[in-house]
Amino acid sequence: MTREHQHTDGTATAASGPRRRTVLLTGLAGAGAGVVTGAGAAVARERATPAPDLRLERARASARPFRGEHQAGILEAPPPYAAFVALDLHAGADRDAVRRLLTVWTDDIERLTAGRGPLTDLEPELAAVPASLTVTVGVGPRVVGLAGAERPSWLAPLPAFPQIDKLLAEWSGGDLLLQICAESPTTVSHAQRRLTAGVADLAAVRWVQRGFREPFEGPGVPMRNLLGQVDGTVQPDVTGLDADLLWVGDDGPAWLRGGSSVVVRRIGMRLDAWDRVDRLSRENAIGRRLDTGAPVTGGRVDTPADLEATDELGFHVVDDAAHLRRAHAAAPHERFLRRPYSYDDGTGPETHVGLVFVAYQADPVRQFVPVQRRLAEMDLLNLWTVPVGSAVFAVLPGARSGEVLGQAMFA
Amino acid sequence: MHQTISATRRVALTTVLAAVALGAGGCGTDTTDTSASGGSGTPSSAALVLDDGWVKSVDAPRMGAPSPAGGMSMPMSAMFGTLRNPTRSDITVTGGSSPVAGTVQLHETVKTASGAMQMQEKKGGFVVPAGGTFVLQPGGNHVMLMELTAALTNGSTVPVTLTTSAGPVTFTVPVRAFSGGNETYNPSPSSS
Ligand code: HEM
Ligand SMILES: [Cu+2]
Repeated sequence: MTREHQHTDGTATAASGPRRRTVLLTGLAGAGAGVVTGAGAAVARERATPAPDLRLERARASARPFRGEHQAGILEAPPPYAAFVALDLHAGADRDAVRRLLTVWTDDIERLTAGRGPLTDLEPELAAVPASLTVTVGVGPRVVGLAGAERPSWLAPLPAFPQIDKLLAEWSGGDLLLQICAESPTTVSHAQRRLTAGVADLAAVRWVQRGFREPFEGPGVPMRNLLGQVDGTVQPDVTGLDADLLWVGDDGPAWLRGGSSVVVRRIGMRLDAWDRVDRLSRENAIGRRLDTGAPVTGGRVDTPADLEATDELGFHVVDDAAHLRRAHAAAPHERFLRRPYSYDDGTGPETHVGLVFVAYQADPVRQFVPVQRRLAEMDLLNLWTVPVGSAVFAVLPGARSGEVLGQAMFA
Repeated sequence: MHQTISATRRVALTTVLAAVALGAGGCGTDTTDTSASGGSGTPSSAALVLDDGWVKSVDAPRMGAPSPAGGMSMPMSAMFGTLRNPTRSDITVTGGSSPVAGTVQLHETVKTASGAMQMQEKKGGFVVPAGGTFVLQPGGNHVMLMELTAALTNGSTVPVTLTTSAGPVTFTVPVRAFSGGNETYNPSPSSS
C-alpha cells in the first residue's frame, strides 16, 4: 500500500503502512490493575496541497489492499467520509442466496478498492479515484443461520439500556452491514450505490448512516465530534499487545477466526441543550479539556488521566460522573477499538446531529457491554446524548487470494 | 499500479477441443489472462480471451411469464465484456451456444427510424483483430442468450461457448444483476 506525501520541493515520496491517528493506548489508569499506558504510534498523515498536476496521480495511487488475513477498514485510521449501510436479505433467501451475495460483493469490493468499477458499472470513472476506499462486511445472525455456521453467542442485539435508550427500528438491526470509508465522498457514494444496487435482487437496504470526520485530521488537527471534543484518544494497542481484544481467536467459531465484531450505535446530540452549557461544565462532563483534549488533571492529550487526583475540597478532579471515568476500563478486557463518525442529517430547522458510534472488539458482550452498562447507569454525557439506533454484526475475516468473503461459513 | 485480481475478474476460458483445464485462482495482472489454444491444435497459440465478462441475471419468476401481448415472453439475457485476441491473426466470432440457452446469437444495437435503440443479429459476426479487442457492452454489440432454459441467478456463473474462426472457445462467465440492457429485439431487421 502506498500513500503519497507531498513535499515542499514538489517531489512526492511514498510512505507505506496505514496511517494512524495520534492515539493513547488504553490502560487502567485508575483501576489499580497496573497496566502500562503509553503513547500510541503517532504517525499521522501530513497534509499539504499538492501541485495540481500531481493530484490525479496521487488520487489514483490511493488504493488500499483488499485481500488479507483481516478485512480492511478496521486497523487503518478512519478516512474522513463513511457510510454505514445495513441490509436485510429478502424473505425466502436461502444458503445459496447468501453465498451468491458474498460472491458478488467480494468481486465488487476488490474492484472498487483498486479503483475499477464493478463488472456492471457503466460509470467506472466514478471509481477511478480509490481515495483509500475500504469496504468492511459484517453479518447478522440470520446470515450465519442460513449459511449453516455456528452462531457466536454474542451475535444478537445488545441488552436494553432502559435508562438511556430511545432506539428506533429504523436505525437498528440488520442482516448485513457495509462499512464504506474513503477520503472522497464521491467514492463513498458510488461504492454504496453499486454495492447495494448490485445485490438488490437479494437484499434491501434497511438503514443508511452517513458520517464524516475531520478531512484535515493530522498533527495538531484532531478528530473532534460535534460537541467539539477531541474524540478517539484512548484506544487499545490493537496492532500490538491488545490484538486479541480485536480479533476472534481460537475460542470463537472456526469460520470467524481473524474476524471481529462491530457495534454500531447511532447517538443523537441535543445541541440546543448543549449550547446552554458553559465551557467548564462541558469539560467536566468528559473529564478532558476542550482545547487540547488533555485530561482535566493536566498534561497533554496523550497524558493518562489521574483518576485519583482531588481538588482542595477533596473532590475528584475528574468528576465521579465524567464520561472518561465511567467509560474507563475497570478490567483489562473491557476495551475495544472506537472508530466513530459524526453525522449531521438535518434538512430543516431541527438539528439532527450526533455520533455514529462504532466499536470493534472480539466479543461485544464481554468487552463492550460492561462499559455501556456503566455509562447507562451514570454518565454526565447522557444529559446531552440519546442512543436512537443499535446494531451488532459479526465482521467476516479477510478474504485471502482466491477466496470469497465469508466462505468459511459454508465449510 | 500493480494489483492483484480476483478469480472472477478473469474469466476462465477453455477450449472444447483441447479440453484444457485452467486454474482460475491465484494472482495475476490485467494482461495475464487465462486462455487456451484454439481449434488449430497447437496448444501454444492462445485463441480468444474474455476480460471482465459477465452475463445479465434473469430471475426465475420472469421465466415464462406472460408477456403484455398475451403470449409467453421469451426470456433473454446477454453476455458482455471485452474479447481480446492475443494471436497474430484476426479471429471472427460466428456464433455460440450455452447449456442455459436454446439459441445464442451475435447482436448489434442500432437506432431505428423512430430513434429507439433496437438490437438485431450482426451479419458477418464479430471480428476481433489480431492483437486487439472487441468490446461487448449494453447498448452495443453483445452475445445474446435466447430461449433461456433456467434462471440465471446473480452471483452464479454460466458457461458460454463461442464459435470462432480459431475454433470453439468456452468461457465460464459470472452472472450479475443489471437493470439496463433492455433494448427490444427485432428478429427480422429491415436494415440488413
Ligand atoms: C455521543 C456519544 C459519545 C461521545 C460524544 C463520546 C465522547 C468521548 C470523548 C470526548 C472521549 C475522550 C477522548 C477519548 O479518549 O476518545 C471519550 C472516551 C471514551 N468513550 Fe466516549 N463518547 C460517546 C459515547 C461512548 C459510548 C457509547 C461508549 C461505550 C459504551 C464510549 C466509550 C468511551 C471509552 C471507552 C473512552 C475512553 C475512556 C478512557 O479514557 O479510558 N463512549 N468519549
Ligand atoms: Cu440482443
